[in-house]
Amino acid sequence: MRAPVCAALFVFGACETPKQVPFELPPDSALHRVSETRVFETKDPGELMSASAAVLQDLGFHVEESVRELGFLRAAKERSAREHGQEIWRAVTLVLSFGKFLMPIGLEQKIAATLVARPADAAGARWEVRIVFYRVVWKGDGQSNDQYLQAGQQSMAMVRDPVVYEQFFRKLSKAVFLEAYTL
Amino acid sequence: MTRARITMLLVLALAACSAPPPRPDLLSPTEEQTKLRSFQTRTFDVVERQVAMRAVLGVLQDLGFIVERANEPLGLITAARFAEPNFSDVVAVTVTVRPVEGGQTMIRANAIHNNRPVTDPEPYQRFFAALEKSLFLTKG
Repeated sequence: MRAPVCAALFVFGACETPKQVPFELPPDSALHRVSETRVFETKDPGELMSASAAVLQDLGFHVEESVRELGFLRAAKERSAREHGQEIWRAVTLVLSFGKFLMPIGLEQKIAATLVARPADAAGARWEVRIVFYRVVWKGDGQSNDQYLQAGQQSMAMVRDPVVYEQFFRKLSKAVFLEAYTL
Repeated sequence: MTRARITMLLVLALAACSAPPPRPDLLSPTEEQTKLRSFQTRTFDVVERQVAMRAVLGVLQDLGFIVERANEPLGLITAARFAEPNFSDVVAVTVTVRPVEGGQTMIRANAIHNNRPVTDPEPYQRFFAALEKSLFLTKG
C-alpha cells in the first residue's frame, strides 16, 4: 500500500521546481558593488547628477526617470541584438535537427542603467555614485517540431563587465573635474 | 410553444455566462492579510525619510533589482527583476517609507512573483536584514 504512495510522491518530488527565494543577497554582491560604485569628493550632488545624465546622453542613453531628492536616474537605449554567431548557431541546429528545430534568437535589446547618488559621509562632503547596467533581450520566433514558438520571449542579464563601469566612471570623472575613488 | 422554450433556454444559458456577483466581504481584511502585513512591515530608528529611501535604493541595487520609479514626497519606490534560474520570471516589489511618531520610519515592502503575491515571510526577513545593514552603513 505504501509503495505506490511513495512512488507517486517521488515522481511529484522530481517535478517540483527548486524554490526561489526573492531578496536573497547574491554571494558576489559585495564584489559587484565595488565595481559599480565610485566616491567623489564634492559638496554639490546636483552637479554630480547632471554630469551623470550628460555622460549617459553621450553614451546614447535617454533618461527615462529622474528624482533629484534621491539622486536617482534611470536611462535606457535600444539596439539590435542580432549577432552573427547566433545566426550561424541557428542554421547549424536547424540542419542537425533535420529541419525540426528553428531556434529563436535575440532580435532587439534594451540596454538600461539605474544610477543612485548618495552621501558617503555625514557632512555630505563625499558622494557615492552607483550605477548598474543591465540588458533585456527580446527573442524572435522559432519552431520546435510542429509547435510554433512565438516571438517576444524576454530575458534579462546584468552587465558585469568591470570595463564598462570603468569607462563610465572615467567619463563622469572628466565631466565633473573630480577624481573617482573606489570603495 | 417551441419558441417560448427556446427563449427560456437562451435566457438560462446567458444567465450561466454572467459572472458571480462580488462577495460583500471582498475588501474586508482577512487574518492572513493581517499576518502578511505584519511581516511586510518593519520600523527603523531613522528620522529622515530621504536617508531611509536611499538605503532602500541601495539594498534593491544589491539584490539585483531594477528601480523603476521613485517618488520622494510619497516615499514610494517600485522595482522589478527577472528571477533565476531562467531569468524569465518576474519579481516586482513596492516599498513605502512613512515617518511615524517618535522619530521612527516605517517601511513596508510587498513583493509579487509572476503576478502572485509573495506570502512567505522568509523573503521579507531577508530584505529587512539587508536593509538594516544598509541603514547601519549609511548612518556610520
